[in-house]
Amino acid sequence: MSTFSPSAPPGDVRARAPGTVRGVHGLLFFTPFLLVFLVAIAAPLLYAVYLSFFQDRLVGGVTFVGLDNYRRALTDGLFHAGLLRVALFLAVQVPVMLGVALLAALAIDSGRLRFPGVFRIGFFIPYAVPSVVAALMWGYLYGRRFGLVGDIGGWLGTTLPDPLGRSWMLASIGNVVTWEYMGYNMLILYAALRAIPGELYEACQMDGAGEIRKAWSIKIPALRKALLLATVFSIIGSFQLFNEPNVLQSLAPSVVTTSYTPNMYAYNLAFNGQQFNYSAALAVVLGAITAIIAFTTQGSANRSGRSR
Amino acid sequence: MPPTPRKRLWAVLPAALALTLAACGGTGTGAGAGAGDTPASGAAPADLTKALDTPVTLTFWTWVPNLDKTVALFEQRYPNVKVNVVNAGQSADEYTKLQTAMKAGTGGPDVAQVEFFALPQFALAKQLVKLDDYGVASLRPKYTASAWSQVNFAGGVYGFPQDTGPMVMFYRKDILDRLGLQPPKTWQNFADAAEKIHADDPRNFISSIDPGDAGGVDSLLWQAGSRPFQTVTPTQASVNLKDAGAAAWSALWSDLLRRKLVDPVPGWTNEWWQGMGSGRYAMWITGAWAPGSMSTTIPKTAGKWRVAPMPQWKAGDQVTAENGGSADVVLTTSKNKTAAVAFAQWLNSDPVAVKSLSDNGLFPATTGLLADPAFLDAPNSLFGDQRPNKIFAESSARVGTGWQYLPFQVYANSVFKDTAGQPISTGSDLAAGLTAWQRRIVEYGEQQGFQVTSG
Repeated sequence: MSTFSPSAPPGDVRARAPGTVRGVHGLLFFTPFLLVFLVAIAAPLLYAVYLSFFQDRLVGGVTFVGLDNYRRALTDGLFHAGLLRVALFLAVQVPVMLGVALLAALAIDSGRLRFPGVFRIGFFIPYAVPSVVAALMWGYLYGRRFGLVGDIGGWLGTTLPDPLGRSWMLASIGNVVTWEYMGYNMLILYAALRAIPGELYEACQMDGAGEIRKAWSIKIPALRKALLLATVFSIIGSFQLFNEPNVLQSLAPSVVTTSYTPNMYAYNLAFNGQQFNYSAALAVVLGAITAIIAFTTQGSANRSGRSR
Repeated sequence: MPPTPRKRLWAVLPAALALTLAACGGTGTGAGAGAGDTPASGAAPADLTKALDTPVTLTFWTWVPNLDKTVALFEQRYPNVKVNVVNAGQSADEYTKLQTAMKAGTGGPDVAQVEFFALPQFALAKQLVKLDDYGVASLRPKYTASAWSQVNFAGGVYGFPQDTGPMVMFYRKDILDRLGLQPPKTWQNFADAAEKIHADDPRNFISSIDPGDAGGVDSLLWQAGSRPFQTVTPTQASVNLKDAGAAAWSALWSDLLRRKLVDPVPGWTNEWWQGMGSGRYAMWITGAWAPGSMSTTIPKTAGKWRVAPMPQWKAGDQVTAENGGSADVVLTTSKNKTAAVAFAQWLNSDPVAVKSLSDNGLFPATTGLLADPAFLDAPNSLFGDQRPNKIFAESSARVGTGWQYLPFQVYANSVFKDTAGQPISTGSDLAAGLTAWQRRIVEYGEQQGFQVTSG
């Protein structure tokens, strides 16, 4: 504590103007975070931006290339295909996952379940499973010959479509991601539900409303902010999609290509292709697109919220 | 070592977890205990041994299980040298870490295991110590010709061959006997046998082909006489995946795939091993390193397998190729290069060491052991009464010469699944897939500043 004003003992600080003291104290509390933020977040980001203006070739070494890497990203078909794929994923998987999470949160909050704690933990446990392990596990289940899918097909006396095939892979990844993150989103929504003041329910009951009406008129509107938060997290998560397809790649190498998602593409370019600079440019572009979509979602939700 | 060992992840989940943990803990330091280092020029073998009498700590990255046993023998022999064996992940996982450490300039090991196909890339980037400066040229006769040629890059020696993978054919004797088939001697015999096996039971295949395994296809091309990758000078390369050998390979395998006589599934997965164990696949044409994995993963099939030379393109020929294999290299960031070179040399040339490596499952790269009667006559219960090492050693001596990898083979192999792997899994024209692969490789090479000529 003595480090913040080495020239004067801490006791002297009190003698100064109270406003300054509060400012100093505020700064003190803020400094640890600021340091970590600068070192762990701001510096790598700036470094990535810096890297993206150069090119380091196996023959020829490092040269400054200005915006060349960004120009290349604009015309890179593999990058665009990956972006479109995660956009499709986002459009389908996120609403499904949040819908299921909402239903689960409402069910647990309704007070009609016998052991709500068990359900709460049960839904949440998959989130505690590392995504690599989750993908490995689902990879086994998806097996058509010896996995669960194969067994179910056997019982039904038919061959089910291959979950790891070209047409179903994205849906299969969506299923893994939904399984993993549904409980996490449910918890965000459930916490918001617990924050609703009891008087509202009492008033509602006096007006003769049932559970459905209560959910529709009180709970869901009260969940606006929490749902928005969960949506923004999910948008970011979708664009960052990496672990699940990367693990499933060993099972379906020709379906999950090296450029299946933008993150996988950047990873392969950097670590197999040593194109750290172009990869940094892709990361910056991807980050910018994610930020724009997340902000737009938030902005439009806030505007429509005010107009109500 | 198998060409795509990360697929073992799927063989055993607990092993995969252990691997992940090991990879997380994989930060070695190259800091030694203060032994003065000789600059890399003209250190004679005598200096190498002297370096091992000075107290020093070396870090060695390898993913070979049980290699610490061989290292323990070294530490017994040279008690002043302490070697930290670190598993920094397998194959591409390790290269990623190595690349990062080399870029950062610190945190890298003194000695690292690198597969033959990845060696030129590190050598080109001047990240490997040129071993000619330490007088290792005299070691040449100790190694098989193909192993030695694979540690050479642009006229220099950059690694000590640790293990090799001469290609052979593993086949299920019980299945072939039941169908009255002989182990195919030519690829035409192979296609005929494939037809009979599939006709007998449409769930079964003669073998599988992995749409994600560039190394496996590289080896088959190699044996077919194709030499698609050539490094002319360190900055000039040529790629030709349309030569006569490649055309022959794609014609045969396109036909097999179109008629669904081979199974286009990734290897090393749980399902694939199940298939290997259940008789779904009658053969596996691969490197001589395979028996170790087979004994541990499908022990119930012990005694049913036999080994034969791989099928030939022309009856009467005896041409083989290599699949996998790796070398130990010394990194330029090492602070104890002389001791590191001396250690790597002992590990891969001392008779005690190579015997220990072989006992722990690596297929030898040294001619001494390959000619040793005790080695050649060693039985293996996986193969019944057969003595497999004889056939492995013969294959090792008959590897087609002149094969090279590109100085950016790691990337080239990584995009195999995006291009050549596509027609493998859909059963369409493989020649078109090879052309697409060639285009991606050339494009990348040019981006990296190479002069690339293509066929």
